[in-house]
Amino acid sequence: MKKVKKNRGIEELKSSYGRMFVLPWFIGVILFFLVPFIETVIFSFSSIKINVGEISTTFVGLENYDYILNQDPNYTKYLSGAMTTFLYSLPIIIFLSLFLALLLNQKFAGRLLFRAIYFAPVIIATGEVIKLLFGLDASSGATMGVSESLTSNMIDANDITSLLGLSGEIGEFFTRTIGRIFDLVWNCGIQIVLFIAGLQSVPRHLYEVSKVEGATKWEEFWFITFPMLGRVTLLVSMFTMIELIVAERGNKIVSNALTSMNSGIYDRTSAELFFYFMVSCLFIGVFIFLYNRFLLKRWE
Amino acid sequence: MINIKEKLTEQNLLKYKSYGKKGADILFALFRYMILLTVGYIVLYPLLSMIVTSIQSLDSMRESIRMWIPTEFAIKDNYTLAIDVMKYGKSLGVTLLYMMVPAVLQIATCAIAAYGFARFDFKGKGILTALLFITILVPDIMIVIPRMVSYTRLDFLGILGLLDKLTGIDLRPNIINTVWAMYLPALFGAGVRSGILIYIYIQFFKGLPKELEEAAWVDGANPLRAFISIAIPSSGVVILTVAVFSLIWHWNEIVNSSMFLSGKMPLSVQIKYFSKNMSAILTDHGNRDYNSVAIKNSACILFIAPMLVFYMIVQRWFIESIDRVGITG
Repeated sequence: MKKVKKNRGIEELKSSYGRMFVLPWFIGVILFFLVPFIETVIFSFSSIKINVGEISTTFVGLENYDYILNQDPNYTKYLSGAMTTFLYSLPIIIFLSLFLALLLNQKFAGRLLFRAIYFAPVIIATGEVIKLLFGLDASSGATMGVSESLTSNMIDANDITSLLGLSGEIGEFFTRTIGRIFDLVWNCGIQIVLFIAGLQSVPRHLYEVSKVEGATKWEEFWFITFPMLGRVTLLVSMFTMIELIVAERGNKIVSNALTSMNSGIYDRTSAELFFYFMVSCLFIGVFIFLYNRFLLKRWE
Repeated sequence: MINIKEKLTEQNLLKYKSYGKKGADILFALFRYMILLTVGYIVLYPLLSMIVTSIQSLDSMRESIRMWIPTEFAIKDNYTLAIDVMKYGKSLGVTLLYMMVPAVLQIATCAIAAYGFARFDFKGKGILTALLFITILVPDIMIVIPRMVSYTRLDFLGILGLLDKLTGIDLRPNIINTVWAMYLPALFGAGVRSGILIYIYIQFFKGLPKELEEAAWVDGANPLRAFISIAIPSSGVVILTVAVFSLIWHWNEIVNSSMFLSGKMPLSVQIKYFSKNMSAILTDHGNRDYNSVAIKNSACILFIAPMLVFYMIVQRWFIESIDRVGITG
């Protein structure tokens, strides 16, 4: 009896220490995240008037949502665009970075150099830099997406298509497709690094056993590497989804929000962002549910 | 055990001795380098293009055939103008003081919060974890306006506001354009993308053996002490990873800095408004011969250079260590 009691005391002490560690973060999140977040949600149901240093809100119900969904010609277009990008980018980024990580994980001359280079887009190809380079910054009205304009500088697909005698539209299509592929490659930096870390943590003896059993490289990948990467893949997916949703680059909703915030339209922009957030959460929720249900369960 | 190993190497040798296998290996190596080089070119293209463009004069740019080989250099012109437009020295100082300091603060504060999540069980942990995920998923732009409003009259938990109501003395400070606009959230572990950093730390701390710290608790060290002298020294690897992310994200941060530091103009904001500022300065100079594209490229080089140097210095440990971070569960 006595022992149990003592244990409970230790447990309580430990949990109070746990709270102590988390407390500063908790205060910070309340002050700098939760309160502003709730205010934004309130904004989205209100009409806002700005006086000097004060924001006065009047409750208008779903009016803002009605506006953005039924009257604004662009919002639904941007939203579906963002979600389509999200849906096709996610698998491509995951497979591309897994593929590159597998190549970079092998032993060959210069692999450290390549690993270093492949992380570089995280530094080089940042939103503001690319916007400035291709005249997409604050002062000009952007017509092309970031990736397309960069690619059209890199490879002139129109030259190739006119050489082959195809129409200009096809050239444009090529530029756009290649542009997206390149943009996806630039998005792989962190993912490759995470996958390499995951590959390194697969126990060596599994491969030794499979070699003894005479498995081919292909079987080795499907029956050892791929299942062992289950958790990493989930982490990489999370990372990718967050990047795709939060990043300003290639996402018209987020990048336009800053502009309209600057011009003082807080109520509708709040509604736009909150609705976008809810939709993204739905997508992520469905993804994680399916992933756990069909992939992780089967492997574990 | 030894027997099995010997057998293994024998088998390997047998395999590798066969010529067909060797040929396939060489083909595969070629294929690998081809892919890696192609992707490497795509990855490095923006940087290479920036460097080449930034050192050329206007005439040299017009000869578009030789894209990678400049015929006439104008390094000094381009870079001095870019430095002028960005007020580089001053902006760099602002970035260091206003953005890099919170980035470093965040490395520490996120570790503390994550340690609490990873090592202890307490009531309400589930809800807090959910809250953590929500902070990760909400774009900064979404909460920037209410934050802006609250920063103009910072009210710590309503105490100062109450004082204002009771006595009429308004002590609420305006922290817009001061260091506190960036420092305070970072100090409380709620700064730029802190959620992801905390998440990385949590994954790592969970994988760290518990026994050593528990032994320290039994010996009478309090958990804070165990955290500082046991957990931290063995987390060099993850701290480096988090540091790289934190510094790079702060360096490129635009949403918060363009709102809260609009009067200070750190480098990222200078880049955002570069075109506008440049045309103003070029009109002042009254000279139409400047190569504005090259100047923009010079500005971009100047902007990414410090981070690139930082990355080159740490990448050896970063790339090697990422293997051992274990953030991948």
